[in-house]
Amino acid sequence: MKSKPKQITLIYVVISLFMAILCHKLLVFYALKANFYYFSFLKDIIFIFFTGIIFNYILSKNESRNISILKKMQSTNEEIKESNEKYDIVAKATSDTIWDWRIQEDYITWNKGIENVFGYKQEEVGLTSKWWFDKIHPEDSIRMSVKLYSFIEQKTEKWQDQYRFRCSDGTYKYVLDRGFLLKDENGKAVRMIGAIQDITKQKEEEQRLKLLETVIIQSKDSILITEANSTDGKIPRIVYVNPAFSKMSGYESDEILGQSPNVFKGPNSDSEALKKVLKAIKEEKECLIETISYSKSKNEYWVRFSMIPIFNAEGVLSHWISIQQDITEERRMETEKEHLIRELTQNNKDLKQFSYITSHNLRAPLSNLMGLLNLIEDIPIENPELEEILNGFYKSTYLLNETINDLVKVIIIKDNPSMQKEMVSLSEVFENVFGQLSFQIEMHKPIIKLKLDKVPLLNTNKAYIESILLNLLTNSIKYKSENRKLKISITAEQIDQTVFLTFADNGIGIDLERNRDKVFGLYQRFHNYPDSKGLGLYLVKSQVETMGGTISVESEVNKGTSFIITFKN
Amino acid sequence: MLEQILCIDDDPIALLLSKKVIAKSGFSDEVITAQNGEEALSYFNSLKYNTTKAVKKPQLIFLDLNMPVMGGWEFLDHFTAADYDGFNSVSVIVLSSTINPEDLDKAKKYPIIIDFLSKPITIQMLEYLKSRIES
Repeated sequence: MKSKPKQITLIYVVISLFMAILCHKLLVFYALKANFYYFSFLKDIIFIFFTGIIFNYILSKNESRNISILKKMQSTNEEIKESNEKYDIVAKATSDTIWDWRIQEDYITWNKGIENVFGYKQEEVGLTSKWWFDKIHPEDSIRMSVKLYSFIEQKTEKWQDQYRFRCSDGTYKYVLDRGFLLKDENGKAVRMIGAIQDITKQKEEEQRLKLLETVIIQSKDSILITEANSTDGKIPRIVYVNPAFSKMSGYESDEILGQSPNVFKGPNSDSEALKKVLKAIKEEKECLIETISYSKSKNEYWVRFSMIPIFNAEGVLSHWISIQQDITEERRMETEKEHLIRELTQNNKDLKQFSYITSHNLRAPLSNLMGLLNLIEDIPIENPELEEILNGFYKSTYLLNETINDLVKVIIIKDNPSMQKEMVSLSEVFENVFGQLSFQIEMHKPIIKLKLDKVPLLNTNKAYIESILLNLLTNSIKYKSENRKLKISITAEQIDQTVFLTFADNGIGIDLERNRDKVFGLYQRFHNYPDSKGLGLYLVKSQVETMGGTISVESEVNKGTSFIITFKN
Repeated sequence: MLEQILCIDDDPIALLLSKKVIAKSGFSDEVITAQNGEEALSYFNSLKYNTTKAVKKPQLIFLDLNMPVMGGWEFLDHFTAADYDGFNSVSVIVLSSTINPEDLDKAKKYPIIIDFLSKPITIQMLEYLKSRIES
């Protein structure tokens, strides 16, 4: 008694039998004709059994059908469940955002991706296609909707599109959207399901690569890429050339691809440089050469040519990149420059020789004059007129000698821009200078204040510093004021590594408003003195600068002049 | 006091000056002059073949550099290369108007040159040389 139909049949039979027995008993008790009640009872029993059998048959049939339907439904449910699980797994695995759009109702649902990828919370997500279209970048929106609707109207077979989709934070992501249609029995599109893939990274990488490619294409330098290896001992074959290369060499890209750069070689190419390239290729090392290259029309041009090995992720050489520049003009200019420098150097040398010869030829007779005049000094001269004439003769000769000596000093300084330095005692230098000017000092008796104790030693050239101080002191004496006693103050101070040597007098001064630019110039004279040569301060400045120092001047007419010299000590 | 001084210079006035100043200083009682290197060399040659015992020989040469026929450097090259017996003790003083630093550098290569002086010759110069040679 397992099945339900049998149970129901049994209950029916039992209840019917009970009713039949009850009816029989009542009939026996109350019946008028006792002969028929057994017959009637038997008839009921038979009826009950027959109907029970029929009932059982119908119920059993129904039951088995129900069971098969149930089983079918169960298996369908299982399938749906499994399919749903698969869908969830796939949706998770692809990280795609999946949408489901019931077209007639304009009802659209999104999976978790809309939050995970684009940042929209479930409550923010709209349920119509308008919400979706609103999120598409205005520049992409028209193109996208045209393509989408022509697909829905089944004018196109497939639909996939790239567009920018706005995230919840307002930024846009590049997406690839792919969808398919579900149609009703009439073939009308009722539903569309799609998957949106975030391709922002790929797009950005694509744009970055495009930018890099632009650099190569737009580059003014010629760029060519070759294979990694060659079999014939030549430079490996070319796989890419940029437009600048075509312009430089005259070869169009399709003419040169597959060839070795050896085709640019010609009779005047530097074979040593080419050997260097082949050696670098063998050793897989970078190299840079300059050589003559030949264009398609066999014109020569100078090229600076680098070969750079490119290794793949496994560290295996994959290509060579060669960057080349046409340096023909540069070379020409260089040659021109070298030529010019040679010419200038020669001119300079000639001029120097000229100045040596000239000064020698001037000095030789002048030294005779000086020597002769020295001899005359000891001979008594009776005639006062002759004495006066000789005196003038002596003065002129002396001045000429001084001028020429100063000029010689200038020539020597200009010729020897570097000179020897040593530690020099400033007070010793002044002693020497005063010694040389003892005659003038004795005659004019200037008040000289020396404050040198702060810089007892100076790293300098002794001859130059003596010459500088001698010139400045001579100037002070020469251009002293007639109205007051000459006072000269000389101070040396040191701040950090710099020595300041101040040389101040109360002489007639220089009108700096008019002459500031000329003070240290050659042949500049500011006073009409017969023995002013216009050389002294030029020489001083040259000597100061040769020793790496500076000199500046402050002066006021009729008040005095001060020179400030600085040296690195 | 030196036995003899030889002055080599193409400039007669310079030679005159040298003679006068040397005489005045009492540095030497005999001054021989030559107008160029060649003349000086022939003087030395003449001394070489002179067997007279009392012959005076120059102990000091005042040498100019820029001279026609044979200049100072050429003279020095010949003089130091040739075998002038007995003249090893001769010293040379360059007396020139040159300002060319190359000349100064060149002079350092000749050990025979003991000084390089700028013209004109003066008494002070000779006083100084005298004290140097004597010491």
